[in-house]
Amino acid sequence: MNNRHQPRPNQSQILNYSGGWMGVSAVPGSGKTYTLSLLAAQIITAGLINEEQEVLIVTLVNSAVDNFASRIGSFVEQFGLMRDMNYRVRTLHGLAHDIVRERPDLAGLSDRFNIADDRDSDEIVKAAVSGWMRSHPEFILEWTNPSLNPQRNSDLPKKWEDLLVKLGRAFIRQAKDLQLSPQQLRDLLNSTHYQHSLLQFGLEIYETYQRGLVLRSLIDFDDLITLALNVLKTDADYLQRLRYRFPYILEDEAQDSSRLQEEILRQLAGENGNWVRVGDPNQAIYETFTTASPDYLRRFLKLKRVKAYDLPDSGRSTLSIIRLANELIRWTIEDHPVEELRNALTPPFIRPTPPGDPQPNPPDKPDEIYLYMKKFSADGEIKAVVDSLKRWLPEHPDQTVAVLVPRNERGSKVVAALKDAGLPVIELLQSSQTTRQTAAMLEKILKSLNKATDPRLLVDAFKQVAGLLYPDGSLSQHTLQQAAHLLLTNNAPENYLYPRTENNWLEDLHQRDDLSEQVIALLENFAPLMRRWQQAILLPIDQLILTIAQDIFREPTQLALAHSLALLLGRTAQRHPEWQLPQLTEELGLIARNERRILGFSDEEPGFNPDDHPGKVVVATIHKAKGLEWDRVYLISVNNYDFPSAQGFDRYYSEKYFVRNQLNLEAEALSRLKALANRELTALYLEEGIATQQARLDYCAERLRLFYVGITRARRSLIVTYNTGRDMQGNENSPALPFVHLQKFWEEYRRENSA
Amino acid sequence: MSLPKLFSEQNQIAQAALNKKIFLQGEPGSGKTTAGLARLAYLLENGIPAEQILILLPQRTLAKPYYDYISRTPLPPGGVPTIVTLGGLSQRTIQLFWPAISAEAGFAQPHQPPLFLTLETAQYYMAKVVEPFLAMGYFEQLVIDRNRLYSQLLDNLNKAALVGFAHTTLGERLKQAWNGQPQHLILFDQAQECINSFRNYCLENNLLDFSLQIELFLHYLWRSFLVRNYLQTQFRHLIYDNIEEDAPAAHDVIGEWLPVFDSALLIYDQHGGHRIFLGADPQSGLLLKEFCDEIVEFPPSLRCPPPVRQFQSAMVKAVQRRLTIEDLDGAVKTAFTHLPARFYPEMVDQVCETVDQLVHQEKVPAGEIAILAPFVSDSLRFSLMNRLEEYQIPARSHRPSRSLYDEPAVRSLLTLAKLAHPHWKMPPTREEIRSMLVHCIEDLDLVRADLLMQMGFTSKGHSFPLRPFDEIGADGRERITYSAGLRYSRLRDWLLNYIEQEEEQELDVFFAFLFGEVLSQPGYGFHHRLDDATVTARLIESIQKFRQVIEPIRSRQPGFSVGLEYLTMVGQGVISALYILPSEEEDAVLISPAYSFIISNRSVRFQFWLDCGNIGWWERLYQPLTHPYVLSRYWQPGRVWTDVEEYETNQQSLMRIIYGLTYRCTEHIFLCTSRINERGAEERGALLLAFQGLLRRLHQREAAHE
Repeated sequence: MNNRHQPRPNQSQILNYSGGWMGVSAVPGSGKTYTLSLLAAQIITAGLINEEQEVLIVTLVNSAVDNFASRIGSFVEQFGLMRDMNYRVRTLHGLAHDIVRERPDLAGLSDRFNIADDRDSDEIVKAAVSGWMRSHPEFILEWTNPSLNPQRNSDLPKKWEDLLVKLGRAFIRQAKDLQLSPQQLRDLLNSTHYQHSLLQFGLEIYETYQRGLVLRSLIDFDDLITLALNVLKTDADYLQRLRYRFPYILEDEAQDSSRLQEEILRQLAGENGNWVRVGDPNQAIYETFTTASPDYLRRFLKLKRVKAYDLPDSGRSTLSIIRLANELIRWTIEDHPVEELRNALTPPFIRPTPPGDPQPNPPDKPDEIYLYMKKFSADGEIKAVVDSLKRWLPEHPDQTVAVLVPRNERGSKVVAALKDAGLPVIELLQSSQTTRQTAAMLEKILKSLNKATDPRLLVDAFKQVAGLLYPDGSLSQHTLQQAAHLLLTNNAPENYLYPRTENNWLEDLHQRDDLSEQVIALLENFAPLMRRWQQAILLPIDQLILTIAQDIFREPTQLALAHSLALLLGRTAQRHPEWQLPQLTEELGLIARNERRILGFSDEEPGFNPDDHPGKVVVATIHKAKGLEWDRVYLISVNNYDFPSAQGFDRYYSEKYFVRNQLNLEAEALSRLKALANRELTALYLEEGIATQQARLDYCAERLRLFYVGITRARRSLIVTYNTGRDMQGNENSPALPFVHLQKFWEEYRRENSA
Repeated sequence: MSLPKLFSEQNQIAQAALNKKIFLQGEPGSGKTTAGLARLAYLLENGIPAEQILILLPQRTLAKPYYDYISRTPLPPGGVPTIVTLGGLSQRTIQLFWPAISAEAGFAQPHQPPLFLTLETAQYYMAKVVEPFLAMGYFEQLVIDRNRLYSQLLDNLNKAALVGFAHTTLGERLKQAWNGQPQHLILFDQAQECINSFRNYCLENNLLDFSLQIELFLHYLWRSFLVRNYLQTQFRHLIYDNIEEDAPAAHDVIGEWLPVFDSALLIYDQHGGHRIFLGADPQSGLLLKEFCDEIVEFPPSLRCPPPVRQFQSAMVKAVQRRLTIEDLDGAVKTAFTHLPARFYPEMVDQVCETVDQLVHQEKVPAGEIAILAPFVSDSLRFSLMNRLEEYQIPARSHRPSRSLYDEPAVRSLLTLAKLAHPHWKMPPTREEIRSMLVHCIEDLDLVRADLLMQMGFTSKGHSFPLRPFDEIGADGRERITYSAGLRYSRLRDWLLNYIEQEEEQELDVFFAFLFGEVLSQPGYGFHHRLDDATVTARLIESIQKFRQVIEPIRSRQPGFSVGLEYLTMVGQGVISALYILPSEEEDAVLISPAYSFIISNRSVRFQFWLDCGNIGWWERLYQPLTHPYVLSRYWQPGRVWTDVEEYETNQQSLMRIIYGLTYRCTEHIFLCTSRINERGAEERGALLLAFQGLLRRLHQREAAHE
């Protein structure tokens, strides 16, 4: 990846950039990371910036940060310059953090402000919601589906609580995106005399939430963005300084930009600045979770002053897969039965790379496309995939494969089934593997510190750490097992860690003939680490974790995660001064077991490269799979529930059966919130259900794009299936409409071609 | 104590006529304080009664050379010179003249004695005053720790007193300079309200925090003919060292006083002013020149060798982006070594390996090495200390402004206090006791302490949870070892004996006895640990002071336990170890924040600058409720503080740090960089950029010469 090759003509056009505003639509696999990295390196090496200036690259997720940084670094190095200087790669949150961190006073913060974790936020919102439910029983009555029999739905309160927590958090996020404080929102409500229980609910939860954050000396991730923008608008001199520091801004994945992101970058670039936005509006898949929208990029591309280019050539997939992806775009634009959805996907179409290109498309094998219209049950679908993999894997040990799912829950089931079948699995679901591994590793070490006399716990910690003692991978499994066995059978760990002359366990091992030197060396290397950590238990928990982390982790992501975990536990300890190591270790366990998500700047796989894992099955959500590619892709659950098309028989994840009139409460609340913020009184008084309808359309459009993203992850082979599932009312799912169309299209195409 | 051989300028200063007032300026390390000591010696030798000599300093720690001199030099019979800060002078004078001014100054109980507050105890009362405001929702939108809130409010009061404006104008001044979000403005009003309430509370209860001490001195005592006459008659000769680190209030007083002194020596450090956060004002110090008969400037520093001096000038220019290859010559390379690391721990390892090499191969005394960073976290300190210990290199640390509670030694002591006072109903947990035992009993490791807890801890049905060692099975006793058991038993017996006395001792007395009779003895953890002994002494002193000023509350609440209250306050972080000084042990590697090292004003042969990419080297500490520059004498009220000022002051501060450190380095600097910082992120602060600039120019220079 570090080798520079001759850029394609379309890439060269972009590399000729010297200044101003530029927009690029790039299709999947068109080498936009490569082009953007090369552009950054070119700006640096051509002397377009001063020594103390930096090219700022803003991207969507942390995994991309590492990727960009190492690419630019290696390009720059090829020019004989220092690799770490003159550029900065950040996610939007990372950038906002930099901006606020440098002048926290402008944001009204102290320099030691902390960022709330998912746990903190969840705890506060949950408390607020249960308070609200107790004090407003009429609210639930107002919105509950009257046809439900409460006796048969005893879990209703729990379901309501879950829904309201989600609603509360979405409301808060939207209000923050609209840059409204609770007080401003209250003032707006008072001034319009508008009353609506959803707004009332949202406002009260928002108020309690902000109070909760302040009490804990925290700000949340959304605050960070708003504060960064405020800071830029507050102090013109600071803005000027930052503009000087970042004379070029390159924005990747611009289709997922939100209003605030665009605003921050616009401020930083300035009207006469240098701003390059690269993205693929067809891959905008974050609207439902965030306030992002591809419209910002689309509008930007249409601006007169913007030089707009396409990057349509892609060498990633076979012609057959490209054909399918392009047909999905065409069908959506021309033939989608719902008029409003016809702009969900837009050109450019994907073009295979021209002859002689250094990245030629894989040889086409139309037989490797299976659009399977069989009516599977939920379990049946997974079984079919597992069976298929059982056959395929042994025949293709050098190829990569992924099973892509629309939701985490479905992914967990696939993982379990694959594990049961004894197939090697890598999981890229809700929280990343790194997060869980990092947390698990620290948890095991802390557990052993807790009960220092327990050989089993010592062995657990040992197993976590042993591999790290040999970063070159020279530690054999046999040595590890043998050493672990010895430790396990030593009932007096003190004679190992703190030997006295008369009881020196390691010394005794040296006398034995049956042990290899490696085994003893491994045990000798582990002891000083364990001793050091045992001595560190007097430190405050956050410092203890940092101390351990600094000893064992080398990956920036792991260090960053350990740092987030340390801060999180430090805060927990502050809130529960009576908690000791066992309770805090338990908290770490929750994160390790994926029961608690840790949000951070680094909750991502560090530059996960599928090519490093041939012969293993990667299970990922389509969202997590973005930017990645595999030789074979299984796209499952492509039904009308996960990929609805605004048809009468479609059902929607956000419309709960226990809410009356099939309303999407989140959509109803948020649309009113937006109307209030924009003082659009007519929109405010629109009748119930209209927002739900609009949300359906938005959701359908996004799911179409998600389907497109899923298809374009495949290089050589693509399998698409669906299952009938069953909801609470016993309704069956049908295949998603675009899937049905593609299947027909493919059949016809194959028929024509064979004819 | 004999002084080093003096050079001619020093001699001239020392032996100046007994009616001469001299303003002496020079670089740090140019021999000014030695000249001050020589002057002191000369005054004494020439028959000036010691009690007529006033030695004024901006901070207690800076007085060390003078104390050392006096304690090691046989003085003529009679008194001793007075070594004091403006605060100290104020306190002494207030004590003397209290009855004369207390009513006029508005104290509600003028016939009762005053209670002087330390920073800690002031923080305690501030917490009491602010609590009801917090309950009313004050400072709700501010994200800040409680103890930092209190200390910033106190800071404001102190600045008002030291700079010389009414504390009632603080809020307005801060508001006028505010350039951030308008909703922040209300916080300044709230701060003002709390400050006013605190002042009233102090007046009602005869409590004198630092600001009130200074104000009483300036507005009542110094204005009183009687008092001024007393002071001016008592002190006839002045030595005022480090005037650049003192506040305008002190400069004002000395400005008025100078004409009356028989002789005076004012010593001014160029490139100083490091205590700006505490009100230091080099500018107003410089004005004192006008009142002197002679201005002397010492030749450049004797301590700072030419290559380090070149490095200093190159770095300062690089910070200002003015460095060119013509500014450099080859010698600068001998002043520093770059220790680049990929990761933070790798950097820590490299530092310790290099220290090991210096100490064990090049035979450099450990005391000649300082490891400096913008901040020293617990984890960093532990990692450094632990690794140096592995190399058998003694180390000590200096980290002021931390919560006492975060010190492991304090936690252990508090666990012991809880054990000894079952009636407080705060039984320590098993984990707390285990940690305490590991900390307190030498040779008791965590595994054996765990074993001891498994076999010797009974939580239910006993007011004292530790079983006798004899009751543990023979196998267990053997594993724990009899020597550790013996020490455990002795500690246990001591505690039981204390409980049986049934009378609660004051907490400081309790700790003093516990430390003296058990913990400091051979076989116990505090016996060898330099820092722990210092922390214990500090804790005892802190409790004593707390006890003295808690009287107004104690007298109103029968059965009030000062110990329990203190414990609670420490647990809440209200009480911070603001004055912890490094242990006196000289032959140990010093681990310290760069700023504290400069302030302590001693030099070492080797310095390690840790984590050069850290932005903390450059940026000031943000304080949302106070502002060192806006609340200074030279800030025009009404002006807005913008990023231009922010940038400029940060640049100045980085240059000051570079000067401050290099002047205190007599041989070599190691610049330690880590690509990835402690948080796993890359950080490229201004110090790193300047250093890169220097490296780049050196590279260019070499390329040009090839």
